[in-house]
Amino acid sequence: MFLPPAQDLRLKAVNLKKGYPLKLEPAELRRLESVIERAADALHKETAEKLRLLRAALNDVAKGDRADQAMRAIRSLSLDIKGMGGMFKYPLLTAFAKSLNDFTNSIDYPTPVQLDIIAAQIDALYVVLAKHLQGSGGRTERALLDALRQATARHKGSRARF
Amino acid sequence: MSNAPMADLERIDFSKISFLVVEPNRLMGQMVRDVLLMLDAQYIDRARDYQSAIQLLKVGRIDVMITEWALSHEVTGKNGMDIVHWVRNDPASPNPFMPIVMMTANSEEEYVCRARDAGVSEFVAKPYTVQGFYTRLAAAIARPRRFVRVEDYFGPDRRRRSSDTYDGPERRIPAEPN
Repeated sequence: MFLPPAQDLRLKAVNLKKGYPLKLEPAELRRLESVIERAADALHKETAEKLRLLRAALNDVAKGDRADQAMRAIRSLSLDIKGMGGMFKYPLLTAFAKSLNDFTNSIDYPTPVQLDIIAAQIDALYVVLAKHLQGSGGRTERALLDALRQATARHKGSRARF
Repeated sequence: MSNAPMADLERIDFSKISFLVVEPNRLMGQMVRDVLLMLDAQYIDRARDYQSAIQLLKVGRIDVMITEWALSHEVTGKNGMDIVHWVRNDPASPNPFMPIVMMTANSEEEYVCRARDAGVSEFVAKPYTVQGFYTRLAAAIARPRRFVRVEDYFGPDRRRRSSDTYDGPERRIPAEPN
């Protein structure tokens, strides 16, 4: 059964005189983008904190200390960094975090090899942030990302995502 | 007098709209809020988890919800998809037709499909651009879609395109040529 589109909100908020057009002018867009630009330092600091927590969670997993909780933390933190990196000109952070998140989504309790791969991905994130590697990186960074992708494909687990 | 079509002249008065932003990350939630404030929005509620979001929704004042998929769910096990499901299907939901924008780093195709099938109006992948976010938010507000109620789904029509060549009763079978 089809129901016609609800019009209440349109009637309340859409008009021909006041407000913002459906397609923003460049100047209006730049004004809104300044919100993200102003948050860049805070995003950088927050990412650094999440990396610290990632290392701590990795240590817990390695020690077998509340490993399932620590793996959940790694999944959650890597998802956060994936969603943030590209917003403040660090798409490499997003790429490495996606790689880490995808890999750990497939694992309940990592094997030693899987643990090494997780550690390598966290190290890569550290390097990107510490060296301020903005943009999509150079040949070295892309080669590292490819190598990690191949390693994760070879050693991924079988945990169901949903 | 402009010769532009009426639709091109439409404007959205964000000061007339009540927003709910559901985002567990304080900084990310703050950025969405700040963008909305720059658009002159005046009513912005925030929640960080399922229970807080449902409590705010029940009050019945929210016009548009912007929600993350992955919420802090150690206690309830609930996430943003559960909120979407509640809005669309729970008898206590004050507005099942509410525009819902999902903003999440769970951006792979399988997640987009699940969000669509839960009844999300628009999907914004994180990391997002302001332009991408605004375009989807404006579409959700100014271009509401018709809704569909079938056995296992209630929400916006998931078919975004209409086609002149499909004329069957369920829009699956191509029309026979004359």
